[in-house]
Amino acid sequence: MSRSGANWFTILPAAVAVVAPGPAAATAYLTIPAAQQALFPGARFVEHPLTLSDFQRKAIARAAGAAGYDKVQRVWEVRSGNSRAGWFIVDRVIGKHDFITYALALGADGTVRGVEILDYRETYGGEIRNPNWRRQFVGKTPGSTLRLDGDIKNISGATLSSRHVTDGVRRLLVTYRMLLANA
Amino acid sequence: MRRCRPLLGTYVEVTADSAEAIDAAFAAVARIHRLMSAHDPESEVGRINRFGHLEPVEVSDETRDVLMQCLHWWRVSGGRFDVVRAGAEAFERGRIPRFVGQVGPATADSSLLCLSGNVVRLAVPACLDFGGIAKGFAVDQAVAAMRRAGAQRGLVNAGGDLSGFGPESWPVAIVDPATRLPAVKVELSNEALATSAIHQDGTAPHLPSRSRWVSVTVRAPNACDADALTKIVWMEAAAASKLLAGAGAAAFGIDASGQVEAIDKQALAA
Repeated sequence: MSRSGANWFTILPAAVAVVAPGPAAATAYLTIPAAQQALFPGARFVEHPLTLSDFQRKAIARAAGAAGYDKVQRVWEVRSGNSRAGWFIVDRVIGKHDFITYALALGADGTVRGVEILDYRETYGGEIRNPNWRRQFVGKTPGSTLRLDGDIKNISGATLSSRHVTDGVRRLLVTYRMLLANA
Repeated sequence: MRRCRPLLGTYVEVTADSAEAIDAAFAAVARIHRLMSAHDPESEVGRINRFGHLEPVEVSDETRDVLMQCLHWWRVSGGRFDVVRAGAEAFERGRIPRFVGQVGPATADSSLLCLSGNVVRLAVPACLDFGGIAKGFAVDQAVAAMRRAGAQRGLVNAGGDLSGFGPESWPVAIVDPATRLPAVKVELSNEALATSAIHQDGTAPHLPSRSRWVSVTVRAPNACDADALTKIVWMEAAAASKLLAGAGAAAFGIDASGQVEAIDKQALAA
């Protein structure tokens, strides 16, 4: 079973990487309509964009311990037959290296029914500002994005924490309690 | 099709041909998350950590299986792989919460952990941290669930612990944590891969000790073994080579200068 030696892995040449600011690795998982059908199969979705005042955003951030980025929260009321089946909210969180759009599905009573990542973008902004890190790419074409060898979509080796999405979900639950629960 | 959900503290990505297979995989991972999250006082691990020293705690077959794996790797690694010591450290660093009324862990190792059937007892207050093995176990459960759902091919990636099956291999890029750029490529075919690496700031609070590596990757028949073995290789490659061979596994490490080196008997003899 064990394969001896190093023939089971291939060391990639450093030259495959050409780096510039902006999105580097990006994965689009689900469109909003696809996520809606995955989380609430067969339901109808009525969009109610939630425009948040500065006061509301501050209150939500204080109660949740995490600030949001959007002044307009994209919210859909989920309808099934003549009754409300729940809520569907699309939100964004921005970490040091990632930019994530996700959807939260809430039941009519506000319980979490599911969280789906819609879009994940890894950025290299932090490194770009670091001259030591940047030096190794001197001579490479600026303005192009990173290409993985053969466009490999499966990545291992970076320690990824989903804490930002967890914080975002907590903030959306506060938003729900303050603005949607009695709507 | 491919979907991604935040579970087990990381992003879990599932690729399969049908929504049913993907749902089955996520349901399996979500179950492991519910049973084994050290952040949830009502999870089985949460209950062991709060009450295990006071009374027997009955657990599910899945938690029992992970505990059996933990004890196996603790024994054969000469104590290097230790969920009790890992838990004490995680508790001390605040990565595992202290629940109301919970007694802090005594300094101890996995010898205080007693498992008989599905019943867990702790000789003294302790804190288990399955962080070094539960992701791999969850990946294996997800793959089994996809197969049961009739999937012919599929891939599960739980924050770098992967398992792929099907007639064609799955290409995987392992990034160098120092640069976050792809450094190594592996073709995964009906087997698993796990990587443990430093954080970008150079620290590794989730890993058991200092290492000559910044990243260690293990290929093994299943993800649970691969996950546990990365921690053992991380601590001491020499001691790990026999364990790798025994598990039908192989490993490589990336060092701070970006050099990639195979870790097995041949490499060590050379």
